[in-house]
Amino acid sequence: MLHTLKMLVIAVAGLWLGLAGTYYAVERGEDGGVGTSFLFGAVKAGPWTGWPKSGTRDADPYARALYARNGETPLGITEGLSFLARADSSGAPLNPACDYVLSGAIPPARFWTLSAATPHGKPLPTSSNRNGFTSSELLRSADGGFEIQISASARPGNWLQVNGGQPFLLMLRLYDTALSANAYSVVAQAMPSIVKEHCR
Amino acid sequence: MRLKDPVGNAAFHTLPWIVGCLFIAGVVHIGSIFAMPRLAPQDAFARISTLAQPHKVVLLPATTPESGAPFDDPALAQGVCRYDLSQGPVRLRATLPPDALMLISFHARHGQIFYSMTDRSATHGKLDVLLVTRQQLDAVEANDPEDELPQDLRIIAPTQEGFLLFRALAEYPGELADARDRIQSLSCGLDKDAKP
Repeated sequence: MLHTLKMLVIAVAGLWLGLAGTYYAVERGEDGGVGTSFLFGAVKAGPWTGWPKSGTRDADPYARALYARNGETPLGITEGLSFLARADSSGAPLNPACDYVLSGAIPPARFWTLSAATPHGKPLPTSSNRNGFTSSELLRSADGGFEIQISASARPGNWLQVNGGQPFLLMLRLYDTALSANAYSVVAQAMPSIVKEHCR
Repeated sequence: MRLKDPVGNAAFHTLPWIVGCLFIAGVVHIGSIFAMPRLAPQDAFARISTLAQPHKVVLLPATTPESGAPFDDPALAQGVCRYDLSQGPVRLRATLPPDALMLISFHARHGQIFYSMTDRSATHGKLDVLLVTRQQLDAVEANDPEDELPQDLRIIAPTQEGFLLFRALAEYPGELADARDRIQSLSCGLDKDAKP
């Protein structure tokens, strides 16, 4: 009798543990996505992380479960690659009270976009209703370089508005890029850096 | 009869139970991860099914803080064409303007992307794609003239149902309406030439 009861308790505990693990893996947490950090096949380059395999036939089971749970439609591998940053180049989490400068190289792509999103991946609500930037809009300096100011208050030049009070993450999407699923090693130098300026 | 407890502590008795519990947890975890694409009630196909009838191009709502799927790009206009191959092959035809980014991906029922392309896959700005099942492909090929190559791109879908997702880039914020027009100019529906 005691034995059966013990077995039942173990079975229920095992079931609960297993489902809790699944929940933890596919439910994006408040900090901006516990789930994604568990996916296999992540490519890290500086502050950026991408999942090039998620848009192929070889997407891993965790990626498939996560996308099914959230109703997401990742980019197919021929369409492009997307990268996500939750921290700056020093590794500190992006702080909505701080200004950042994004600069450096962007891997070759026909078009790219940079946008600010909430930790759950929704476009960040801003007073200007603008929360993204396309490669066509970018103003370059005379030497071909560029800087994008990420700030809650207006900046001259390339300004990506964020919302002072709301946590955000950055998404860089490379469309029609020469980087393929096989080019797994996106070197950190080829991706733009995100450097913290002053904080309020 | 009870086994002798050589260590004389509780660990000897509880260890097998812990191992058993972890084993069950592992099986449940892996099983539920693999089952998720089939069981998730709010996957992309479910979302799109409520918005779009099969075999026509339907624009999706703009990506704003209030609407759209997570991690979508607000600079893209999006449209879908649901397919149900049990009714016959589906044809996608498009005339695409040069140098305007159009992304096309083919999604199976349970989230798998089985093909993707951009406007650069078009020859002289024209795109002609036939989406078929394996059996339908055999029937189509049987009707092909023997002395010429087929002019369309034929893609086998792994599931009978699914959707095509079209994404057009608005290079500047004011061009979102143009991007939506480019999606609406696509033609997607049951193939009229094909015999059922």
